[in-house]
Amino acid sequence: MNVIETQKLSKVYTHDFLDVENGRLRFNLMRRTTALADLDLQVRDGEIYGLLGPNGAGKSTTIKILMGILFPSSGRARILGKDLGNKAVKARVGFLPENPFFYDYLKGAEFLDYYGQLYGMSRSARKKRIGELFDLVGLPPHAPNLPLKGYSKGMLQRIGLAQSLLNDPKLVVLDEPQSGLDPMGRKEIRDLILSLRDQGRTVFFSSHILSDAELICDRVAILNRGRLVAEGDMAKLLGTAVKEYEVWMAGLPQELIESVAPRARKVIDNEEGTLVILEKQDDADSLIREGLARGGQLISLTPRRETLEEYFIREVSRKPGQSSDQPAQPAGKQEENV
Amino acid sequence: MGKIIVIALNTFREAVRNKVLYFLLIFAVIIIGFSTVISDLSIAEPEKLIKDLGLASIDFFGFLIAVFVGVYLVYNELDRKTIYTIVSKPIDRTQFILGKFFGLLFTIYVNIAIMTFFLFAVVYFRDATQYDVMTRAIWHETGGKFVQVQPLWLFYLKVIGMSGAKSLGTMVGYYVVPLTAGLMKTVLLSALGLAIITAFAIFYSTFSTPTLSAVFTFLTFVIGSLCEDIMRFADKIAEAAGGVGALAGADALKYWFCRVAVLVVPNLAYFDRRMEAVYGAPDITAAMTGPPLLDWQTVLYGFTYTGAILCLACLIFRRRNFK
Repeated sequence: MNVIETQKLSKVYTHDFLDVENGRLRFNLMRRTTALADLDLQVRDGEIYGLLGPNGAGKSTTIKILMGILFPSSGRARILGKDLGNKAVKARVGFLPENPFFYDYLKGAEFLDYYGQLYGMSRSARKKRIGELFDLVGLPPHAPNLPLKGYSKGMLQRIGLAQSLLNDPKLVVLDEPQSGLDPMGRKEIRDLILSLRDQGRTVFFSSHILSDAELICDRVAILNRGRLVAEGDMAKLLGTAVKEYEVWMAGLPQELIESVAPRARKVIDNEEGTLVILEKQDDADSLIREGLARGGQLISLTPRRETLEEYFIREVSRKPGQSSDQPAQPAGKQEENV
Repeated sequence: MGKIIVIALNTFREAVRNKVLYFLLIFAVIIIGFSTVISDLSIAEPEKLIKDLGLASIDFFGFLIAVFVGVYLVYNELDRKTIYTIVSKPIDRTQFILGKFFGLLFTIYVNIAIMTFFLFAVVYFRDATQYDVMTRAIWHETGGKFVQVQPLWLFYLKVIGMSGAKSLGTMVGYYVVPLTAGLMKTVLLSALGLAIITAFAIFYSTFSTPTLSAVFTFLTFVIGSLCEDIMRFADKIAEAAGGVGALAGADALKYWFCRVAVLVVPNLAYFDRRMEAVYGAPDITAAMTGPPLLDWQTVLYGFTYTGAILCLACLIFRRRNFK
């Protein structure tokens, strides 16, 4: 079953009739900005789905439409098989917005209690769940009685995550869950997302921290300028083929280095040894064989696949030249739909 | 209904933790207390001045809270993006608006109750500390000699306690005396008028900025309070021209503008019974252009108006995109 399904989802903003831009009056009759165009997504049950893209790509717009914060200009979307806005569905969805700011006059525990009441949870259920959540998201022991105005950015992010898990949701939607966190915090959130999937929940999140997305996502969609440029299984998108070989050797004679340089993508020579990046496996084999024969030592051989970041930059920078009238052909999507 | 109460209680908590509210309340209480001093300047019936000033303070500070807290209620949720997590919860946007409204109204009514308590207490205190009453209570004449029967501090302590008790009694309708007759009804009606103003403040803030909302609400209050005068003005124009049919040009424009303005905004004069309660009934009702409303009609008018404005606010809010 698809947990999230969108069909030709679009959002077009109309500008204010009169606006001041760069110190000059501007009339905006009929001026429109497309934030999202014809988005088709399917998020399956129990997977971690990453929505990736540069700033202004339409990630937040997509999430806001799904969460009922914005209304789509056209197209439709369904969550857990029901149309948007269904209260029974909302009761089974948890949501963390980007850069969350919560009621600063409330204490941590009061805040979660308030949201628990909005979910219609009983007093005893709230008490039990709130205690669990403070531990789960890694907030310090004094956090429940500390007003939210005393929370650091990382703590706010964590309590935001806690409120998204209050109702034991089937689907968790996270908008940039790792923004504002240090590397330790990012790892903790990553682990938490993985554990959410292990508990049978579906996680749909947006991010521009691609290295993290690569580590945890089952599938991703890449958006750029409101359009879907790629969607699919991480393995299928990035491929399994090795892109290049990194050979790191010590004690190589100078003439061997010079002879291999024309075929290498990069040669870095320093006191610790020589790093040669080669495209072909044969070149790497012969370099290692010859180097060893001439008294060199092999320190490491690393076959490298394309990273999500490289794939992302390639996809995103390829598309702007394309006419905006034609929707980008989603790479890998055909394979997905088979 | 449960979710509306949850949001209303949180709104009340937000207002209670806002220091501005305390300044307003302290200021109002000081003014009511100060009215006893001013009343000494009055030639006759100083308690009327206390009542008039006190009731006016209750109305005015209630209005200030309605405007300055009301216009920020919805705006803050949008500005700080807390609305994002609220609308993703299993609640209606209508429930949100109604929760905000009732939360603010509850805040205003708690404040009105405190101010009313002080007003009644001050009236009873002043009544009990009039020179001759006080003298009789402290000194007794026995055999041509005056003997102090109780120390001054004890007398004041008793009067303060009694004033507070009488004030509470009057508020709940248990202690009814001519001194404060009709005042509680005046307070309740003006509280109903404030419900309309609160609904307007929230209505405006669903589609405009706090500053604009405050200006709109203030204008609504001014026009609403002057409804009777505006209608009289329109009638005067028509009369001068020799009937509505004979109106032409600028006069016709003025006449119809007044007529429409009065139709659109609530007639807040219905909820202002201060003159009637303090100085007696006849002249104020005679000044009404239309037939005076009976109490139940005024209450019905207030509820209907508040309900209608809240419906409009909900209609707008339901369709809003939160960027």
